Amino acid sequence: MKNDNHDVSSALEKIKICASASWQPLLEKPLIMVGAATCGRAAGALEVKRTIMAELERLNIDANVLEVGCMGHCYAEPLVVITRPDSDFPPICYGYVTEGIASRLVQDYLGEGDPCLEYALAAMEVNDFIPTMADFPRGLIEKKIIMDYCGLIDPQNIENYLATGGYKALCSVLRQTPESIVQTMKDSGLRGRGGAGFPTGVKWETCLKADAKEKFIICNADEGDPGAFMDRTILESNPHKMIEGMIIAAYAVGAARGYVYVRAEYPLAVERIRLAVKQVREYYLLGKSILDSGFDFDIEIFQGSGAFVCGEETALIASIEGEPGIPHHRPPFPAIAGLWGKPTIIDNVKTLCYVPHIISRGADWFKSTGTPESPGTAIFALAGKVVNTGLAEVPMGTTLNQMIYDVGSGIAGGKTFKAVQIGGPSGGCLPESVLETPIDFDSLKQVGAIMGSGGMVVLDQDDCMVEIARYFLDFTQKESCGKCTFCRLGTKHMLNILENITKGKGAPGDIEKLLTLAEDIKAGSLCNLGKTAPNPVLSTIKYFRDEYDAHINEKRCPSLMCKDLIAYYILPEKCERSCDACVGSCPVEAIFSNEDRIKVINQEKCVKCDSCLLACPPQYRAVVKLSPPEEVAAREKGKK
Amino acid sequence: MKLTEEEKQIAVETSRKVSELFDPGKGNLIPILQRVQGELGYVPPEAMEVVAGYLDLPPVEVYGVVTFYNQFRTTPPGKHQVKVCMGTACHVKGGHIILDSWERRLGIKVGETTEDREYSLERVACVGCCTLAPVTLYDEEVIPKITPTKVDGLLFSHQLADKQQKEGNAGEK
Amino acid sequence: MSQQITLTIDGQEITAQPGDKVLWAALANKIYIPHLCAIEENHTPFASCRLCFVEIKGYPSPVTACTETVQPGMAVTTRSPRVDRLVRTGFEMLMTNHRLECNICPANHSCALQRIARERGLSLKPKELPLLERNLPVDDSAPGIIYDPNKCVLCGRCVWVCKTRGAGILGFARRGFDRMVTTFRDAPLAESNCNYCDVCAGVCPVGALTIKCMS
Repeated sequence: MKNDNHDVSSALEKIKICASASWQPLLEKPLIMVGAATCGRAAGALEVKRTIMAELERLNIDANVLEVGCMGHCYAEPLVVITRPDSDFPPICYGYVTEGIASRLVQDYLGEGDPCLEYALAAMEVNDFIPTMADFPRGLIEKKIIMDYCGLIDPQNIENYLATGGYKALCSVLRQTPESIVQTMKDSGLRGRGGAGFPTGVKWETCLKADAKEKFIICNADEGDPGAFMDRTILESNPHKMIEGMIIAAYAVGAARGYVYVRAEYPLAVERIRLAVKQVREYYLLGKSILDSGFDFDIEIFQGSGAFVCGEETALIASIEGEPGIPHHRPPFPAIAGLWGKPTIIDNVKTLCYVPHIISRGADWFKSTGTPESPGTAIFALAGKVVNTGLAEVPMGTTLNQMIYDVGSGIAGGKTFKAVQIGGPSGGCLPESVLETPIDFDSLKQVGAIMGSGGMVVLDQDDCMVEIARYFLDFTQKESCGKCTFCRLGTKHMLNILENITKGKGAPGDIEKLLTLAEDIKAGSLCNLGKTAPNPVLSTIKYFRDEYDAHINEKRCPSLMCKDLIAYYILPEKCERSCDACVGSCPVEAIFSNEDRIKVINQEKCVKCDSCLLACPPQYRAVVKLSPPEEVAAREKGKK
Repeated sequence: MKLTEEEKQIAVETSRKVSELFDPGKGNLIPILQRVQGELGYVPPEAMEVVAGYLDLPPVEVYGVVTFYNQFRTTPPGKHQVKVCMGTACHVKGGHIILDSWERRLGIKVGETTEDREYSLERVACVGCCTLAPVTLYDEEVIPKITPTKVDGLLFSHQLADKQQKEGNAGEK
Repeated sequence: MSQQITLTIDGQEITAQPGDKVLWAALANKIYIPHLCAIEENHTPFASCRLCFVEIKGYPSPVTACTETVQPGMAVTTRSPRVDRLVRTGFEMLMTNHRLECNICPANHSCALQRIARERGLSLKPKELPLLERNLPVDDSAPGIIYDPNKCVLCGRCVWVCKTRGAGILGFARRGFDRMVTTFRDAPLAESNCNYCDVCAGVCPVGALTIKCMS
């Protein structure tokens, strides 16, 4: 496919023709797309695909089957989208597809023309029969920019990406000066989506102006926040978009080499990027003299070895250099002296994905979405206690309320909302009272959380806020590199205090101690891991101080979560004599029937695993948790 | 856990072979170690010495890197690797209860390998499957929405499958 | 040398070479700033002990003196309520993790921790925070050196000097609270390739690495 023509755009035109030539036939036959990103696979997507293939063969139906990525509706995985070009129906998305449903879809829809609307989630195009995604509250709020084709194209096939207009921005960029690209990025107001929200164009400008022969660009895909999976989904669903953004960035700052720093815990993402890079090279969009423009750039993949602190720029660089991921003092900033001492740009996956869009459609178009200070969209991984978990791309400025109740469809299981955790270990827990806060870099900071990279975990009445704070401190303490005094020892002291509180060993004055330590750790730590580590504690004390007080003063966990402060108890008046579901469920044989055939828990043996509570049939609900554990004795005494 | 002489020898040979696939630059330290672990399942000190020699680094620097990152283990893993996700979403949906269940069932603590080297148990920070919480990775397979009872069932069915396989092999002989 | 730079530290006018760090400019002029990890010859400061905080006019919050390069007209203050609080907390944290046995410690009277306590009126014994003892074995296997990791403050001076001037056997291993100075596979010094050159003991500020008394 190498072209002798030196005109960049005609080179791309040729590639595009080839791409649509391979895309077009797909639309001539029925097309079945199976969402097979990690989330889909875990829910059984590959089995569903196997069933579909087998059924097609059995019924002798000619159709194309594509493995696609994830469109964000993870709650309904496995997802299947079926297009029948010979029917009046639009492409239909089916959710919660089992192997049984899959074979029915093939038989009934492809075989007999009945689209099985009872399994349909929504239509993918406006039509007269079925509501589309946009007809649901979530669809009204969502605005997909960088996730536009996630779950709708085959991530393993570059031609799919080219057919959607991919690499067009790169092509136009190669005819511009680096300065003008940097100017466009500055004009767009794009802020880094890794968490801190630093203006991307300004960072690029610093690097462009830095006088050095060699420069580097690194895509930070070391998504380390527990509870976040945006980058993983994007890389698994449409890796070429990030790669295009990266090549443009390299051209803009004058880098000849780039690294994708991706977590080894994301094997599928690694595989997808590796394949994508190989394909891009084959199309002369990467390597020596890209599209005959004279611009050289190549990408290497570096697998992160599992250290949250490597999300910090200087630690990430240290790890590529073969060192432990230990941060260095800044300045110098990486844009001036980064990898091997050379000017280096480090951008998050999502940041880079916006780049082709901004180049193609302009800075003003980008600014028309979002808020003036935080233009564009935000991508959140919505998890925890909401009904519809998944990935959502919404305009900046959307409120937390809309995210939780419209996008997430509210709290699951009829429970009540307690808090939303945003920003992972560097973020905070926000209560109901601030849910009207718009999502943008500055507003979230004001209420005690951070934008972070996009993890949003919703917590309900069963989640103890002291325990959540302890969980995050435990995380940062384990992930601290241990270099500087405040982070290594300060977070350890904070963790010890929190552990004592959750075990009922808290003492008056502990809250004040935590607050003082938090303030000093924020001011004294070397890097942002330490500087932000106290945030989960500060926000929970600010908004949920009464829970701390209950633990400290009454040795009671109001949410019945802290293991040392609860006991499982079977209400004798509710226990059904003929039922012994709980007895069988107990892994340690701690439940026995008393002389009245009422079940009783041996508290000495009980390991508090929750099995009996789950096993007790809903019509009885006889198993309860009590706090403090002394309640059990009190009840038994009262009974006698 | 003591390594046999044979295991040590394999470690040395493997790491020598793996090292030579890379240029001897320090930037290749982590990729080499990852590859060694990919082949051996772990990176014992014997392997670290070979890699250090190849890259002309003091062995203690390689030791510092191996002990810093979560990914590397210095002792042999079990035949089956159980990794319990401890991400936020898994945590609030009872990830610690699941970890307890695995510890109880396997009779080992997190980070350990069973005496017979059949199972090793680890915690992972987050595998990004938060919508399916709580999850456990069993030999890289993601087990969604796991419960203590599911832990028992999973272990039982895998043990049964292993047993059948062994018996089948014995029968063939 | 090139043109000297004039700046003030605690109101005192001093001169320094361009590129000098504030910490060394201050110390050269007999102005004390607490410090443990800094090494003058090392041009990429570790900035890990977090004790050399100072105020610099125009900066919103205290900064570490070991990382700040002197500028003409810079106005540095070594003491302020904010600086004192950070130093007090940082020092107290370190002291919860340092085995305190001055009376039998070879570093008694030459210990940097004692100096910091004296200069800043701080207590060696932690007042607010409980001890975080590690109870690691003391290594006295080597003929000339004793290594007590329980006293180590992880300043990294020994690691640096062992690498640049010694046998390159000391390094950091593990992370977080478990981070420690050690040898390859945590071998005792006598079983490592240590050549007992003693340079590590010479730079240890706190008596974690000391020269064995030949009595």
